Amino acid sequence: MNSTLPSGPAVRIEGLDKYYGSFHALRKINLSVERGEKIVICGPSGSGKSTLIRCVNRLEQHNGGRITVLGTELNDDVGNIDGIRREVGMVFQHFNLFPHMTVLENCMIAPMIVRKRPRAEAETTARRFLEKVRIPEQAMKFPGQLSGGQQQRVAIARALCMQPQIMLFDEPTSALDPEMIAEVLDVMVTLASEGMTMICVTHEMGFARRAADRVIFMDGGEIVEQAPPEEFFTSSRNERTRQFLSQVLGH
Amino acid sequence: MEMVVVAPPAPGRLEDLRRRFLATPLQALLSLVSLAVMVFLAWKLLNWAVFAAVFTTSGGPVACQAAAGACWSVIAARWRIILFGLYPFEEQWRSALACVSVVVMTVLSCIPAFWTGRRIALVWGAGASLYYVLMKGGVLGLPYVGEEAWGGLALTLFIFVTTCLIGFPLAICLALLRRSDLPWISRTTGLIIDGVRSLPLISILFTFAIVLPFALPQWLQGDKLYRVILGSALFFSAYQAEIVRGGMQGVPSGQEEAAMALGMSYWQRISRIVLPQAMRNALPATINQFVVAFKETSLVVIVGFFEILASGNAAYGTGDWRFAYVEVYAFIALIYFVFVFSLSRYGAYLERRMAVGER
Repeated sequence: MNSTLPSGPAVRIEGLDKYYGSFHALRKINLSVERGEKIVICGPSGSGKSTLIRCVNRLEQHNGGRITVLGTELNDDVGNIDGIRREVGMVFQHFNLFPHMTVLENCMIAPMIVRKRPRAEAETTARRFLEKVRIPEQAMKFPGQLSGGQQQRVAIARALCMQPQIMLFDEPTSALDPEMIAEVLDVMVTLASEGMTMICVTHEMGFARRAADRVIFMDGGEIVEQAPPEEFFTSSRNERTRQFLSQVLGH
Repeated sequence: MEMVVVAPPAPGRLEDLRRRFLATPLQALLSLVSLAVMVFLAWKLLNWAVFAAVFTTSGGPVACQAAAGACWSVIAARWRIILFGLYPFEEQWRSALACVSVVVMTVLSCIPAFWTGRRIALVWGAGASLYYVLMKGGVLGLPYVGEEAWGGLALTLFIFVTTCLIGFPLAICLALLRRSDLPWISRTTGLIIDGVRSLPLISILFTFAIVLPFALPQWLQGDKLYRVILGSALFFSAYQAEIVRGGMQGVPSGQEEAAMALGMSYWQRISRIVLPQAMRNALPATINQFVVAFKETSLVVIVGFFEILASGNAAYGTGDWRFAYVEVYAFIALIYFVFVFSLSRYGAYLERRMAVGER
């Protein structure tokens, strides 16, 4: 990226606690993500993995501990929050494209109104990233006219148009038909190979093997185990991890 | 052997009619009787409204009353009262132009090409000031005409348009406040909305027109007309706020999350992402509310304004034309119909237009 970067990790999470009412969703999480690092977070449903990445761009408010993103601490300062969200892109399970705008407008709106880029520049950027996710020909269509896989690729392009330094993926392929998963994962692998800092919540272990620097297993609101993918898949030490892996990889 | 599948031939139009209406003797009888009744009624109505009707004022009310059909002469004789109320006779061209300016402004702001902040503000600013200058006068050599003399269609349109112009933004504010995360804001707003909705419009108009002057200092009172419009806008906004809120509830929470994740501020999220989708959801109910608001303008007669219905009463109520009330009401109904029907058709057009992204 062209902006001058403060040194230090991209994301640093220290002693993070999150409650939903009396339910303790995240327990004393510590995690540091280096610039350019690719992290895959997996774990059974309800283990807190989505909550964890949603805390990174403040879609969820944490109740204890510290989150520092790109050198800025996430607190109640709205300026900090907006500043961090500009630099952190997110891709959702259900795409969340804006249905009342064309694909192109979906990709242009945030750069124009948040980054105050002129329209022509926003359009050039949008078309470049639509090219990158391999659907430039769909630019003038509305999201409702696209398949799930195409919509998710538009969602990735929309996030990239803000030229973020970190990308969060919250189960990006879980709502897709099997034949569409590959096209989304291909885009993510390309992105990873270009050095983007990525935190992905996913059960796609093939993706973890190909692209991740580190795989994290969560259960019960805690990080149970983390290791590089080879080590994680072949010699995980924890019983819960092995059980989960046998369920995910078993079929 | 090759099978050729052919769709059964579509029945011709006559054949289709025969099957629908003349299938059995009983059905044929019922069909014929119904047809006869309809033709008879249509003939009676047509005869009354056209063939036996009097259209000119030449014979005066007496000749008109003697005719078997409708007496449209009352419209020819009194249309100025219906359209312009008590507005001074020589100045009524101003009232007519003011009506045109309101209609043009409304039509322009219905065209998508005008849907940018600057253009819509320009259209409304120009339309409203043109209306005001034309109606009130006192400048540019136009004689002064006070609000108490405004009336007829010009007044009805003015009250309707200003009610919507004030009430609609107010409704959006109320809906947003009611959605606030701060309980004391959302509860207070809820209380205001439910409070206003629990009162009859007549009592609100009465309060704003007659009671408010006792409570407010002189400089805050303004003319009675503007107080009435404020009351009517408040009433409109309480209903419309709930319609807007309902529309917002139909927007999935993921939409706002996606907008947040892109770094949009609260107002950007509301104005670019949530409201456009909410208004699409709320469109049918919104058009309904506009239609109701248009017809409810007739209630201002209670505080002494001669909008079109009251002007109609005056048109046949004085002197010679007392017998011709059906014709006057038919004429007023036609005017209401033209406006409300156009509004409904515009709503249908908007729905089709907005449905583009839904496929």
